[in-house]
Amino acid sequence: MSAAPFTQLNSKGGGIHWRRILVTIFNHSILILFTVIIVYPVLWMILASFKTPGELISNIWGLPTDPAYQNYADAWEKAKLGRALLNSGIVSIGAVLVVVCLSSIAGYAFAKFSFRFSTVILLVMVFTMQAPVPIIPFYVLFVRLKLTDSYLGLILAIASGTIPLAIFIFQAFFRSIPSELREAAKIDGCSEFSAFLRVVMPISGPAVATVSILTFVGAWNEYFMPLLLIRSDELRPLTLTIQVFFLQFGRAEWNVIFATLSIATIPIIVVYVFLQRWFIRGLTSGSIKG
Amino acid sequence: MPETSQPLTSQASGVARRFSKLAPYLWVLPALTVYGIFKLYPLVSGLQMSLLRWDGIEDPRYIGLRNFEKILSDPMTGTVLLNNVHYAVGTVIGKIVLSLLLAILLHQALKGRTFYRTSLFMPVVMSFVVVGVLWSWLFNPQFGLINSFLRGLGLEFLVQDWLGDAAVALNSLILVDIWKWYGFHMVIFLAGLQSIPDELYEAARIDGASVWQQFRHVTLPMLQPVMIVNVTISVMGAFNVFDIPFIMTAGGPANATNVMALHIYIRGFKFYRFGFSAALSYVLLVIVTLVAAIQLKLMTSGDNRD
Repeated sequence: MSAAPFTQLNSKGGGIHWRRILVTIFNHSILILFTVIIVYPVLWMILASFKTPGELISNIWGLPTDPAYQNYADAWEKAKLGRALLNSGIVSIGAVLVVVCLSSIAGYAFAKFSFRFSTVILLVMVFTMQAPVPIIPFYVLFVRLKLTDSYLGLILAIASGTIPLAIFIFQAFFRSIPSELREAAKIDGCSEFSAFLRVVMPISGPAVATVSILTFVGAWNEYFMPLLLIRSDELRPLTLTIQVFFLQFGRAEWNVIFATLSIATIPIIVVYVFLQRWFIRGLTSGSIKG
Repeated sequence: MPETSQPLTSQASGVARRFSKLAPYLWVLPALTVYGIFKLYPLVSGLQMSLLRWDGIEDPRYIGLRNFEKILSDPMTGTVLLNNVHYAVGTVIGKIVLSLLLAILLHQALKGRTFYRTSLFMPVVMSFVVVGVLWSWLFNPQFGLINSFLRGLGLEFLVQDWLGDAAVALNSLILVDIWKWYGFHMVIFLAGLQSIPDELYEAARIDGASVWQQFRHVTLPMLQPVMIVNVTISVMGAFNVFDIPFIMTAGGPANATNVMALHIYIRGFKFYRFGFSAALSYVLLVIVTLVAAIQLKLMTSGDNRD
């Protein structure tokens, strides 16, 4: 788009024309090379999940000769993936709900009301959100609040890390909404909060989507928090389940491991491919304005 | 700028006025409570724990600054921190160079831009556990994809024990980290490139600037804000890295991939030295803060000189 004038300038004259074709070929070859480096290992993982243990060693590069669907049944049963998916789902959706509700309300106040300390509060968040949490006091706090080994504890642990960024995203979005909307709703007899709920939130889809994706992907992929806080097998989310399974069977049953990894990866990649614009925007927001 | 809340009518009672002054705090209270309890409180309460000898079970004993003295005299501290520095240098250079190159290529009017962008960003969506386990196999010395590929090309001299050789292991982890994240930095650079006005390039071309000169004197200076964002995020990531070394090498072989976050975890939850581990967390916190401050200072002072 922005390179259009460049193209027009260069398209005059045969020599320059050839040069442009060469540049295009060069650009595509580099991009294809890196695309292969990124995509191939993932594709290979999915192919490997249909191989037998012998084939993993004898047939490294080829397609599986006789697809071993059994790997998936084994993975599902041995690693208790059904339960793990359920746990990850509960925690991720819980984290999204907590983060979206709390941060949208707070973000609205920072955007639309003026009150003492608002700048100080935002500054404290900016300076502490990146700081690594000391894990011992963090863990001891959860033990004392009896929040270890519970969905709620894990949800709060993950949500607390995402809330500042979510507040900044919501705040920036709400500033872009004209205040007339809110005034009109208030003249119609709405309270400040019901104006927010009934008038502002329904048109805040983009911000809600951005924050939801950011929180969901982060929670779904979170490994350290469950490692620290979850003890019992039944509450393990997917990431922890995979790692424990890898430690138990890693040396012997790589084919089943690859099936486990594929079950964990394929759904999120399929959703990502369909919603790539939203994913990319959501996961890089906070680093890019808008 | 935040606007002032609506002025109250003169009849409004003092109670209502006071309430409307308090109202904004009620709006921010729920979010700040969660953030305060689970993020800010541990940052502060750990200070007291770092002064204790405590295994988490028996009664703690106050030992003053003894934990910090031990950290300073422990040769492990240096080993671990040097690994973090090595990791930071490797990942930052790799991520910045690769992502900037690809962002510039993607910024051209090319067919298939969306396809390339979607593919290159894909690992960002994946879990580090999946990435770590997958790459442990790809690095397998006998049957892994990497060595098999090198043998196939006749590059036998490059074949190695990627994760088992102490001289190579940390670099192997750096490669995985770059692979996982460069798509992320690429998208940020891309947004930066799109914000550079075309007129600047036109003016530069009229002045006879070569492609390299345009890059050096237009693109790079205009990219400075996103460059700061990208470098800061990667440096922070490198000093906080935990998942990759924990899953792929558990800090081995011979502590070659042991990093600060892993060291803190192992001291705390394998050896139950809670006080010592808490103290280590503050050492890391101070270092991360210093590194961020120095780096921001360096990167923004370059701006003033131009």
